[in-house]
Amino acid sequence: MEDVAAGVSLQHYVVLSMILFSIGVYGVLARRNAVLILMSVELMLNAVSINMVAFAVYTAPSLFEGIIFAIFIIAVAAAEVGLALGVILRIFRNRGTANVDEVNSLKW
Amino acid sequence: MGDAWILPALPVAGFVILLLLSPWLPRKGDWVAIALMATAFVLVIALGKDVSDAIGAGSFQGTARSWQWFNVPGYIEIRMGTFVDQITLVMLFCVTFIALLVMIYSTGYMHGDRRYGWFYAIVSLFVASMLALVLADNLLLLYFSWELVGLCSMLLIGYYNEKQSAAEASKKAFITTRVGDVGLLIGVLILFTQTHTFNIHHILSMAEAGQINERWLTAAAICIFAGACGKSAQFPLHVWLPDAMEGPTPVSALIHAATMVVAGVYLVARMLPLFESVDGMMELITTIGLITTIMAALIGLAQRDIKRVVAYSTLNSLGLMFVALGSGAVGAAMLYLFAHAFFKALLFLSCGSVIHATEEQEVDKLGGLWGKLPITAPVFAVGALAMAGLAPLSGFWAKDEILVGVKNGEMSQLVVVALLISLPITAMYMTRVTLLTFFGKPKDHHVHEHAHESAPAMTLPLMLLAALALVSGFVVFDGVGKALGFHSGWLGFVYNLGEGPEKYSADWAMSISSVVLVVFGLAAGWWFWSGEAKPAARAAAFSPLIYKLLLNRFYIDEVYQLAIDHVVLAAGQVVAVFDRAVVNDTGVNGTGEATDFLGWIGKHQQTGKIPNYALAIVIGVVVIAVVAFGYRG
Repeated sequence: MEDVAAGVSLQHYVVLSMILFSIGVYGVLARRNAVLILMSVELMLNAVSINMVAFAVYTAPSLFEGIIFAIFIIAVAAAEVGLALGVILRIFRNRGTANVDEVNSLKW
Repeated sequence: MGDAWILPALPVAGFVILLLLSPWLPRKGDWVAIALMATAFVLVIALGKDVSDAIGAGSFQGTARSWQWFNVPGYIEIRMGTFVDQITLVMLFCVTFIALLVMIYSTGYMHGDRRYGWFYAIVSLFVASMLALVLADNLLLLYFSWELVGLCSMLLIGYYNEKQSAAEASKKAFITTRVGDVGLLIGVLILFTQTHTFNIHHILSMAEAGQINERWLTAAAICIFAGACGKSAQFPLHVWLPDAMEGPTPVSALIHAATMVVAGVYLVARMLPLFESVDGMMELITTIGLITTIMAALIGLAQRDIKRVVAYSTLNSLGLMFVALGSGAVGAAMLYLFAHAFFKALLFLSCGSVIHATEEQEVDKLGGLWGKLPITAPVFAVGALAMAGLAPLSGFWAKDEILVGVKNGEMSQLVVVALLISLPITAMYMTRVTLLTFFGKPKDHHVHEHAHESAPAMTLPLMLLAALALVSGFVVFDGVGKALGFHSGWLGFVYNLGEGPEKYSADWAMSISSVVLVVFGLAAGWWFWSGEAKPAARAAAFSPLIYKLLLNRFYIDEVYQLAIDHVVLAAGQVVAVFDRAVVNDTGVNGTGEATDFLGWIGKHQQTGKIPNYALAIVIGVVVIAVVAFGYRG
């Protein structure tokens, strides 16, 4: 397993995943453009995927559960992006904006 | 004798058939009900022959037969069954015979009525419940039938339910008897807790043997007697009976003569050993009976509605029967019940014939109908004389047996005196109603001209009943009883179990004084109300207070109305305030308002902005993660 990437340990992947996830969370909270929020969500998903694959390779290389899980996440994310972009497109068509601060009618 | 359950089953079958099929049957199916009732009557005759033979053969104690009803293993087994003895038999005979005649009469009286089939269905059920009541060998079945009788009477009294007064009367009858019924239920349950059985004979033998706690026994006896008072319209629960004539007249005849009011007399007669084992109970029964009989006789003097007068005469008779029972004279009470069934049915059915002919029932508008109604008028007079107790009509023998029974009983002789005083009053008001209806000058010419005799379906039962009212009293004699196929006369046939048969013996002093008093009453009635009825008007003018008191039935209804208005409704208002303020406003509305308020607080936390929700999610995740981490240590 040492030849996968010499000098790169599991900790590196976990830290990378953590940084990516945090950036994603920051983006979701800080951004106001719906498309950018969506991209941040994708970033979080990818962080999770990296985590999955890394643990799979480093701890149980003979099993593929983590890798298959990552593939599932990619598939679900693709569907989710399609749906979310469609929603955002409709909102933009109707309201002329994709700024989430201005779209606040989903309440009482 | 064991198959007596068939008797109530027959009219029940009639009820079911009529209820389901009546619209498709020819004549709406009245012949089904009549045929089944006639079958039941024939079976009662056969049963009577069996019982008479059994009594003649030796010590007859009644025939019981029962089946398991339901069973709570290890606790109680409830049985349901029939019991036939002489009292049952007298009741069975009166009920089936009067019901049969009433049904035949109704083919004429109710002809063309909108709900003809329904009428016969309910009458069938009414009779069936009464038959089950008198046959029941346990108090539970008796109570069920008792309530069914009450239900059917309400349906029939309120038969013309489009009429306000009929609806009111049916409600009044149901609620008033209900007061007594609750007493009966409590009494039955007390006896059950004390004896662990519903079987009447077990209870009676335990009561006689003194195995029941004395206080509970007293309470049970009073409660059961309250039930009997309600059903038999004894003072102070008598108010429903005069109003019960709002129903069709054949129904009044049925209620008064056979199926309803005598249920209380039957119950007291059946439970008499229980009442006898309670101190002061017999005195209570006598007192209530005496009050009822004298009050009814006085009120009867001033009533204007012909059916109402006859209704008060029923109260008068029922009071007499209770007085007889209070002296333990079961045979005399049952003889009176037997004779009363004929002449009271006769009086009511001929009232119905008068109403059918004239469509009037106020004596102020009748009069001079003797020639117009050649059958109805004489038979009504026969019924009135029998009710008055003139020898040798049936009422005389029955009433004399009661007088002799009370005289020989343990009650004070003042009771006999009071009964003797009531006799001329009874004779007076029966004379009055006969005179005002059939004699004198017609008071309303329109009514008089349109009067016509009723159809044979109505007059034939009347003539049969009149014949019986004339002669049925003779059953007291041994020879008559033997000629009818019984082993002896009335008192040898109907007697209190354990006391043995008696022989009829004339008490000449009593008979003569009662006849003299009755004749005096008839003469006084004739003097007061014949012709222009001037002496009566003078008497009313002489003491308007008494007249008004009688006319308004001693204001007992008004007192009850006041009590209802000021006590029941006032208490109801307190409850209503509690219901509105506590239950409704605080409980129900309060819950709703609290939820609404919480929702109002909650909804303002919603901004609709995605970043807020996202932040909430993140904070939530972090908090859960920290907590979970801390929890794992």
